Order: sequence, then C-alpha cells, then structure tokens
Amino acid sequence: MGGVVLKKRYLGLLALLLAVLGVAAAGCGGDDGGGGAATALPSASCGPIRYEGDGDPDYLIASDFPLQGANRALTTEMADAVEFALKQRDWKIGDLTIGYQSCDDSTAQAGSWDSAKCTANARSYASNEKMLGLIGTFNSGCAKLVIPVLNRAQNGPTPMVSPSNTYPGLTEGGPGTEAGEPDNYYPSGKRNYARVVWNDQFQGAANAQYAKELGLKKIFILNDGETYGNGIATLFDQYAKKLGIQILGNQKWDKKATSYEALGSRIKSAGADGVFFGGIICNNGGKLLKDVRAAVGPDVEFIGPDGWTPISATIEGAGGAADDMYISQPGIPIDQLTGKGKNWVDSFEQDTGKSTVDPYTAYAAQAAEVLLDAIDRAGGADRAKISEELFNTDVKDGILGNFKIDENGDTTLGTVTFFEVKNGEPEFVKTITPELSFVGG
Amino acid sequence: MSSTANRRSEWRSQVSETLRFDAIRAQWRRLPRRVRGAALPTIVIALAFLYPYYRTWLPDIPIFGDVPTVDTGVTMLIYMMMAIGLNIVVGYAGLLDLGYVAFYAMGAYTAAWFASPHFENVHVHAGAIGVNPKAAGFHVSIWLVVVVAGILSAIAGILIGLPTLRLRGDYLAIVTLGFGEIMPQIARNGDNLFGTGFNLTNGAQGINPIDPPGFGATLNRWLGLPEDFLTVSNGINFFYWTALVLLLFTVFCSVRLRDSRLGRAWIAIREDETAAAAMGVPLMRTKTWAYAAGAFFGGIAGAYYAAFKSGTFPDDFFFNISVFILCMVILGGMGNVWGVLVGGGFLAYLNQEGLGNIGQEINKNLGTNIDVPLYQFGIFGVILVVMMLFRPQGLIPSERRKMEFEEGVADEPLYDVRHAPDG
Amino acid sequence: MVTQARRAPLPTVGRRLQGRIMPAIGALLVALLVLWLVVNFIKTPAEFYRLFLIGVTNGAIYGLVALGYSLVYGILELINFAHGDVFMLGGMLVATMVTTFGLADDSGLVLWSMILLMLVIVMAFCAVLNTTIELVAYRRLRHAPRLAPLITAIGVSFILQNIGLVWKGPRPTSVPSILPRGTVFTIAGVPYTWDKLIVLLFTVPVLVALLLLVQRTRQGKAMRATAQDRDASAMMGINVNRTISFTFFIAGGLAGAAGLLYALYITNIRYDEGFRLGLIAFTAAVVGGIGNLPGAVLGGLVIALIESFNNGLSWATPGSDWTQSIIFAILIIILVFRPEGLLGERTPEGV
Repeated sequence: MGGVVLKKRYLGLLALLLAVLGVAAAGCGGDDGGGGAATALPSASCGPIRYEGDGDPDYLIASDFPLQGANRALTTEMADAVEFALKQRDWKIGDLTIGYQSCDDSTAQAGSWDSAKCTANARSYASNEKMLGLIGTFNSGCAKLVIPVLNRAQNGPTPMVSPSNTYPGLTEGGPGTEAGEPDNYYPSGKRNYARVVWNDQFQGAANAQYAKELGLKKIFILNDGETYGNGIATLFDQYAKKLGIQILGNQKWDKKATSYEALGSRIKSAGADGVFFGGIICNNGGKLLKDVRAAVGPDVEFIGPDGWTPISATIEGAGGAADDMYISQPGIPIDQLTGKGKNWVDSFEQDTGKSTVDPYTAYAAQAAEVLLDAIDRAGGADRAKISEELFNTDVKDGILGNFKIDENGDTTLGTVTFFEVKNGEPEFVKTITPELSFVGG
Repeated sequence: MSSTANRRSEWRSQVSETLRFDAIRAQWRRLPRRVRGAALPTIVIALAFLYPYYRTWLPDIPIFGDVPTVDTGVTMLIYMMMAIGLNIVVGYAGLLDLGYVAFYAMGAYTAAWFASPHFENVHVHAGAIGVNPKAAGFHVSIWLVVVVAGILSAIAGILIGLPTLRLRGDYLAIVTLGFGEIMPQIARNGDNLFGTGFNLTNGAQGINPIDPPGFGATLNRWLGLPEDFLTVSNGINFFYWTALVLLLFTVFCSVRLRDSRLGRAWIAIREDETAAAAMGVPLMRTKTWAYAAGAFFGGIAGAYYAAFKSGTFPDDFFFNISVFILCMVILGGMGNVWGVLVGGGFLAYLNQEGLGNIGQEINKNLGTNIDVPLYQFGIFGVILVVMMLFRPQGLIPSERRKMEFEEGVADEPLYDVRHAPDG
Repeated sequence: MVTQARRAPLPTVGRRLQGRIMPAIGALLVALLVLWLVVNFIKTPAEFYRLFLIGVTNGAIYGLVALGYSLVYGILELINFAHGDVFMLGGMLVATMVTTFGLADDSGLVLWSMILLMLVIVMAFCAVLNTTIELVAYRRLRHAPRLAPLITAIGVSFILQNIGLVWKGPRPTSVPSILPRGTVFTIAGVPYTWDKLIVLLFTVPVLVALLLLVQRTRQGKAMRATAQDRDASAMMGINVNRTISFTFFIAGGLAGAAGLLYALYITNIRYDEGFRLGLIAFTAAVVGGIGNLPGAVLGGLVIALIESFNNGLSWATPGSDWTQSIIFAILIIILVFRPEGLLGERTPEGV
C-alpha cells in the first residue's frame, strides 16, 4: 500500500464520505422504546440488573459512581443503599416494576472518575427510554458533563438526583461559581437535577462563622487540589475574609506526597492559629493531619468540612492527631438520626451485615427515596414528568429528616452540624444555620 | 519455513479450484494495479464508516461480550490518533517519550480556551455552533480550533524539544516525563497563575462546556450536514464519522511523512545516530520535526476529544495516560502504522469498555460473583504482560524494524543507538 | 555500577550554545538557587535547619528505592516500573506484621529484635518477589526489542498495585508508630529525633555494603561485567542469567528494606504509593547519574531537599502547589547542563 494509489483512493473516499453523510442526514430516528421488559444498560459500565420481583422489570433506575480507586469503599456501599431502597419497596412503584443497575464512571487507567466515561454513560442513560432516573453522580466534575446530556435527552429531560455533588454552580450562581452557571447545564431550559446534600456555599459559610466563634484570627488554608476540596477551600477563604479573619495562605497538599512535615513547618512559621483542611480524608488525609499536628503543636485549631467524614475514618487514619479537630457535616449526623432515619440505619446494617454506615450512604438512600417518590407522584414512566415532580419534593420524616427541594434543585435542609474529636471519639458540639443573606454574598 | 509456505500455497490453490474462484480472480487481475491496491483500504474504510449501522447485528465476541458501542468507537478512534502521533516520535525517530500527555493537554486546553465561555471578559464569536450569541468568551468554529490546537501543540513540542533533544535515550525519556508532570500541574494551578490572578485554566474545576462540533445552519440547508452534533438525533454517529475522518487524515499524513525525505532521516537517526549525522542529517532539526509532528496530531486529538466530552479537567492528564498511549504503540508494533492502529484501538477499547465486559462475561458464564471494578486494573496488567510475552515485537511489527531486529542491531536499544557504533 | 552515559559529538548548534550561552545560563540558575537558599537561611535559620533535617531523612528513603532502580537499570537498561510496587508490598507486609505481632506496646530489646526479624522477612519476601518477576516477565524478553520489557514492567506494576488494593483496600493503611521518637539533640530549638536518626543510620551502612558487594566481590565483578557487555561476559564464563537474577534479588532486598523504613517512619502506606515513589526514585537515580550507586542516594537527597525547602520555606517560595513541577524543572535543568547526571562519568564516544 504505497502512496501511488492515494489520489484515486481519496476521490473515492470523499465520495463515500458524502454518500454516508447523505444517508445519515436523510434521517434515521433514535432507538424505539416499545413495550416489554427493560433493556439493560451496557455491561461495560454497569453491573447486572438487580431485581428480585416477579418476572423481568419493566423499567430501570441506575446509579453513577466511581467504583474504582480511592473512594471505592464508600461508593460500593452507596450503591447497596440504592438497591436497598428499591428492595424495601418490593421493586415496585405503583404498577411499574423497577430494577436497578450500578454503573461505574471510573476507568482502570484513571483510578477515579473519568470524563470520557461520564459522558459515555450519560449518553447511554439518555438513550435508554426505560431508564427512569439516575442516582448520581458522586463527583461534581462528572455531574457537569452528565447533567447537560441527560437534560437534552430525546423524550424530555431525564431526572437525576445526586447524593454528594456539593459544587454550588450546578444549581445556582453566587460565590464560588462561574459566569453562565447554572444555565450552562440546562440547554433545554428545563431543570432535571436535584440534590439532597447542601452545596458548599452553605458549608463554607458555616465553617467561617464557626472559626470566628472560636476566636481564630489567622488561618492557613490547605486544599487537596480537587474539584471539591479546591471549591470548599475557596469558599471558606471568601467567607472568612468577609468576617475579618486573616488568611495566611491557601496551599495545595499533594495526595501522593511522602510526608507533610515541611508543609506543617511552613504553617507554623506563618504563625497561624487555625488550619482549615479543604479536602477529603481519602486523599492521604490521615498522614496530613499527623504531620501538621506534629509541626504546629497542640494549640492550633483544626477545622475540616464533611470531606473528613465518616469521622471514624479520620480518627482511624490520623490516630491521636485527629484529637481536637472540628469537623462539620451538612444535616444531621448518622448516629443522631431519629425516627425513620434511625430505622433505616438499623435495617440497612442488618441487611448488609455492616457495623458502621458512612454518612454519604444515608444521602444515597435519601436520594433514591426522592427519585422513587417523584416516580410515584408522576404516576407513570414519563421522564419529563418525573423531572418536574422532583421539584415538588416535600419529605416529612425522611431518612435525613424534614426537607424540601427548592426550585433550583437544592435541599432546604440547612443545618450544618459541628463535631469535635475528643479522645478518639466524635463529640457533638453545635449546629449552625448560616443566614441566607450571608451565604448569597 | 519454505515447507509451510509450499503447503499454504497448495492449500490456497486447492481451495480456489474447488470453489471455482478462478474466473473472478482472472477478472480481478485484469483491473489496473492501483485499483487493486486501493481495494483493501477502501473496504476497511467503508466498513469502519458503516459501523454504526450494522453494529447492532453483530454477534457477541467470546470473552469480550458486546461489540464496542459507537460511543466507545469515538474514544478508540481518538486514542488511535494519539497513538499514531506518538508513533512518529517513538516508532519512526526512535525517541522515547514518556510525557506525550502534555500535547494532549495542550490540545484540550486550546479547545477550552477558544470554544467555551471561559474568558469572561472577551466576547468573540467566529463560527461556533449552538452557542447563545450573548455568551461571553471566545467561540471559534470547532473545526478551526482543532487546527489551531494542532499548531499550538506543535509549537509546544518544538519549545520542549529545543533544549532537550540533545539528550539521548533514557535521559530524554526522563525529561519528557518531567514535562508530562509539569503540564498537568500548570493546568491544576492555572486559575491564579503565579499569583497574578490571571485565570488561564480554571484550575481544578476544569473548563466546560466546550462548544459542540457542527456545520451550522447554512451547510445544513444546502448539503444536509448536521447543524449541531449535540442536538441532532443521531449525533453520536456524527462524532464517530468526524473522528474517523480525522484519523484517516492522521494516518495519511503519517504514512506520507514516513515515506518522505524527513521520514527517511528519522529512520536513519533511529538506526544509527552517529552515522546519520556523518551523512549530513541535521540531528536537532530532524528530531525537532519529529516532536512537532507527533505533537501536532496529539493536539488535534486532544482538542477533538475535549469537544466530544464537552469539557476538560486537569485530572484527565496523568502520567498513566502517557504510559497508556506508549503501551498502544509498543503493543501494536512500533513504527508500523497499522500495528499501532490495532494496538491503540484495542487498548482504548479495553480501558473504556472491554475490562468491564470481560468481568461480566466471566461472572455470567462461570456463575461467579466477582466484583469486577476491583480487579480491572490487575486484568489490564495481565493482558499487557501476556501479550508482550507472546508478541515481543508487537502485534504487527514493522518490516524494517523486523529487519533491524533480525540483523542483530536489536540487541542494542532500538530507540537509542548510542551503543551501536561502539568500536 | 559503571554503565556510562556515552555521548556522541554534539551537533553544531548545540556546540555553539554549549560554548558560551549555556554555561552562562547555567551559572545564573545556580546563582539564583543559591541566593534563594541563602536569603531564606538568613531570614529563618531555625526553619531552614528543620527543613534540612526533614529533607535529608526523606532523601535517605528515596535513595534506598533509587538504588534498586539504578542496579537494575545498570544491568538491563530497563526502567523497572514494578520496583516501586515491590517496595509498596513490602511496606504492607511490615504493616501487617506490626499489627499481628502486636509491636505497638513493645520496647527495648524485644522491639529491636522484632524489627530485625521483620527486616529479614520483608527483605527475603521482596527479593524473592523481584526475582520471580524477572523470571516470569523479563527473562523471556531478553532478546526482544528493548521497549518490550518496559511494557511488561508496567503490566506487572498494575498487577502488584491491584494485589495491594485487594489486600489492604483503597484507604491508606495506618501503621502503629513503634520507632522511638524521643530527641537525640536540639540545635536552635529544633529537636533531632531518634526515628530520623535511625533512617540515616540504616541507609549509610546499606549503601556501603552495597558498594563493597559490587566493587569487591566476585559476584559484583560479574554484575559489572554483565552490565558492560552481556555477550562478552558470557564468553568469559559468567553465568549471565544467574547474575541478572542475583541483581534482581539484591534490588528486591533493598526495596524490602526501604519498605520497612517507610512503613515504620512514615507510618502510612497505600496501594498506589509505590508507583509514585518509584517515579521519584527513578528520577533521583537519573539526577545522580544512572548506574552510579552513590549518585542514586545523592539524587534522592537532592530531590527530597528541594521538596522540603519548597514546601516549607516562606520567602519567595512557590510552595507545595508547584513542588512536582519544580522537582522536574530542576531535573531538566540538571540534565540539560550535565546530561550524565551529577556523579555520572563523562566518557566521550566515537572520537
């Protein structure tokens, strides 16, 4: 195959290309839905359909989490919680039988969420008309790619409820967001995305308020350089400055670094009386706390957002270095849940044989409940209708308590709870509900 | 060797006689040579183009399950493009590059700069499709952006190459690795570049949405080309065909480059750098061109990939990706375009879809209940090791490489000839 | 070892650059670096000293891992990507042993003999593992194109990481701190602790022993000969395969020792930590002059010091956001000006 024949070949190729494009443009519709059992989502990303009801399920819901890499312990548990929600309803909403598939948005190469996988998954959800809704995504970055694809789906926006996206710009503008957000994500003009977790604006504001209450004057911020950590650190920075707290620096910690002694030494020489850790425990947080605590001594206060939950993981990772650290958590902590929440924790633990449940697992369960209720209220398998119903959510005595979903898709569950680690045990300190005027900037 | 060849030709003639293909064969031979030469590529290309139509009728592949989706097809084509680009550097010129991801990043961020609302203070619209006319930022037609991305990446390649290409072998490899590590860090910290407050890359939040490809209303009316890939009903097919056209362009350029004067100079450098220099091949310039050419295609692929995913994030550009693309080149057969295509397509498929499928198939057929995502990484490793042990020269080794190999030059590092002329 | 970076005559442009401009730029960069260090030292001497101690200790660990890379590279010219993961598995084995033996509460003689026992076990484990890897994944490719074993090395690395993931899970494993952390002496208010001293006390004898092994023993001679010319040494009656196996065995033992130190000193180990540390260690080996054993340790020290100073100093310091970039930028600068590495031998070729 030398270059001799290339010119002729190219003419032919061009003709072929035009012909193909012509055929394609002549129009060939999408996959037809039809009746019958649901077609499974592609097995490349999604596990087998989980369904224990009669026959085959007519419809599906799915979850989209990174099942490989550092977060896997948590994400697999969250997937179990979604399955458990369906199981409790006997795989049935009204007269629709519903199965569940757990999908993976990570790849072996990336070891965490992968942007190409996120969009590919999103397309497969959008094109499968039997797919009634998505629980996910886990990462806000992935949500930025998935929401618009689901929003643009052929037969109306596909509903999506996230248990863990905290990036504010997904639902509203204001501090910590960019121009054009959130409308960027909703090209059809209709909303299809809700979340049961507070966005970072609230938590950043609450953390800043608490730092002020502790009497801190000079704070050093560390962040893990990821979407969540960087976002919450930036917001904390903004709100703390508004409250007159001096910010000495906002540095990234490298999750793959061998040690953080030098970083701790820098914080010490900067003269900070408090350190804010914007990031997650999974990014080598245990080692970070150990080294920074060793460097700055016992008098400097540590504050961390909900990336440091479950607090037991922080204590396990950092040992004694976690003592005296304040950790905030949106909503009510899992071991202080009452009513339905308490029942849910007990029965989920019984069902899975686990002894400790991660707080985000409760969020996953609540997200599943919100989606299933919306399907129930919509009274049918119309995805656009279910999307609309998401915004009429009014949960009374749910797993996370009482809350509504507002018109942006945010939860009204506005409390942020603070814990202090004392002698290896988390201790409830107080709850803070920041003023909306302060949060909105 | 000869006996098997005899047997094979015997068998072939028997088959053709029994099936009475003789007439067709005679007819075929009467066709001009160039037509015959074009037949196979044309068929392959036609099959590739029509893939979205017959995909659903294809049976499952054993072990691998479903055939790849069109979506995965796009990713495969883009990775093939990058592999071809890297092959110019590693396969043709014999320069080990462990930081190819830098060019991919350069391309992706170029797309993000010139086709997204990222720069809030400018308002430039030049042919972008499906964008609100009031939106801020640069919105240049994605087709132009792809070309610009290629050129900028090539410039980056030259800038990286100039001070470092003097180095040889693994020293060069480690320097490229360095650039591959520096680039993502710039992407990650670029929201406040060097404390100036200038937001170049939007840091960890990444840049999105990137404008979709499309041909616009006019071309849609006159030629029936889709206006906007995202809104048209079978948009994914158009993403696929566009990627295929880009790949064909890449392959064409790559083959032409290989057979050009420059390509021969690359091969000369690869085989014996000192001798090549003695024969008057300008080493620096020739190597820099290899870098620029490789980077050009990496940039194009990166930009198109970013547009396909409609976003770019610093997490997309890790050392692992450089290694991944290098694996494609070596596994496919260094220096051989067709081998690299196969290697690139296969590994990209594995990563995107295949590994998950394999696990599910095992679970289904053996009745086991393996937690697939937990073992994907390891399965990938096993496949790499096993394939390399059985085909050390790659799936389809290049003829010339094979020759070097058999003549014994191959005892010396192939990409690094510093030992070759040792007296 | 003595694999030299043999170099061809420089091309003309390069030669002209080399003549005037390049040394000037090089001198300027070094001057800037020295200025930065000096100013920081004058401003905050105690901090500077503290960071120096941190850097030296981490550097010793990097150096130990880098030695393994250097050994294998010297003899096979192979970047053994799996080396870091062997090290990681060693660390995990130590983590397991510390918990199962319940060493957290021991002290004195019991503790030290147990640490010694663990050292022997983990070194043997890693040495056997590394030799097995060579046997399975590299030996068959001895005559294949040189990049082929690079790919199997990457494949093996993935497999080992997966083993670590399945073994210890995705979260970092915390190792109980059993090394004594008391103060040895205090200068300028900065204490020097026992655990840091132990790391150094460990690295130096290992390096000396290794040098003696390579330079003074028959086996070492065989290794050097094989590194220089495999065919010729085979003709001289050296069992090449056994020599290479032996090299991998030693390199694995070093990885095991480094794993023990890492687990006990850093007290944290995660499945993907080996790969990253391996990358840094390999870089260290190249900075020092690959194939040169003291160079590998020196390279480790240089990298760890850069890391430590950049993370911890406060005057005109980019800070931890840029550490990775700065390490590699300095690497690139070193290689551009001294392509043979800091301690590599400059041996002109062909002329």
